[in-house]
Amino acid sequence: MTLARAIEIVKADTIVAPPNGQVELSGCFAADLMSDVLAFARSGALLITGLTSDQTVRTAMIKHLPAVLIIEGKDVGVEMVEAAREQEIAVFRTPLSKFEACGLLMQAGLRAARRSGAYPA
Amino acid sequence: MDERSIGHFEFPILGRAYFLGGRASTSVKKALREAGVDDDTVQRVAVACYEAEMNVVLHARSGYVSVDVYPSRVDVAISDHGPGIADVTKAMTPGWSSASDEARALGFGAGMGLPNIKQQSDLMSLESEPGQGVVLRLTFYRGGGNGAGS
Repeated sequence: MTLARAIEIVKADTIVAPPNGQVELSGCFAADLMSDVLAFARSGALLITGLTSDQTVRTAMIKHLPAVLIIEGKDVGVEMVEAAREQEIAVFRTPLSKFEACGLLMQAGLRAARRSGAYPA
Repeated sequence: MDERSIGHFEFPILGRAYFLGGRASTSVKKALREAGVDDDTVQRVAVACYEAEMNVVLHARSGYVSVDVYPSRVDVAISDHGPGIADVTKAMTPGWSSASDEARALGFGAGMGLPNIKQQSDLMSLESEPGQGVVLRLTFYRGGGNGAGS
């Protein structure tokens, strides 16, 4: 699924546009814990999160995630916007809840971009 | 005979500067890419560095990350001046955390930092001196590593 199609499905506003135009998503990963994203997200995924901080953008950059979707219509601060521009990460915002956003995207065919395995014991 | 380092870089980490957390790791990632290191290794180093950098930001006064690139591996050392880790075994337990609410508000402090670092790296050693600080040494074999970065 393209990023543009995913954004249309969740009725999101564009906060920071993707720098490279058309983006094909490898799938989707949803979490508020950045450690979970670092451990399990696969590169190329859309990150759905309620965390509106610079850390969200830096985590996306580290994991090669091209775009972040902020849920619940939360405010996105200027620091996060600046970090996103600097790191070339697209940022969108949907009024939907995380559950609703994930549900609609999965229904439309987007799949989990999750690495197999668990945290080492 | 040990290999010679073909690239060395260091980046400082400021303790308690939450808004800067992750800057050193994004710099490490860019520097490794420019040095021609393969994507999987870059990804694993960057993830481990980011978790370690956030540990420094959240718990210590200051620190730095030092990276050496060798033909067959990447060595990383993250050193800090801070309280040290009182109980390393506990700190390695997934889910155990001594982080503040502030840390949790940044999406960290879930007790997954060190387990995550262990998962990404091929070799890991942790020296903690209570009241002095922590030195974390990591080795990542280039290409054919543990695949955690993909």
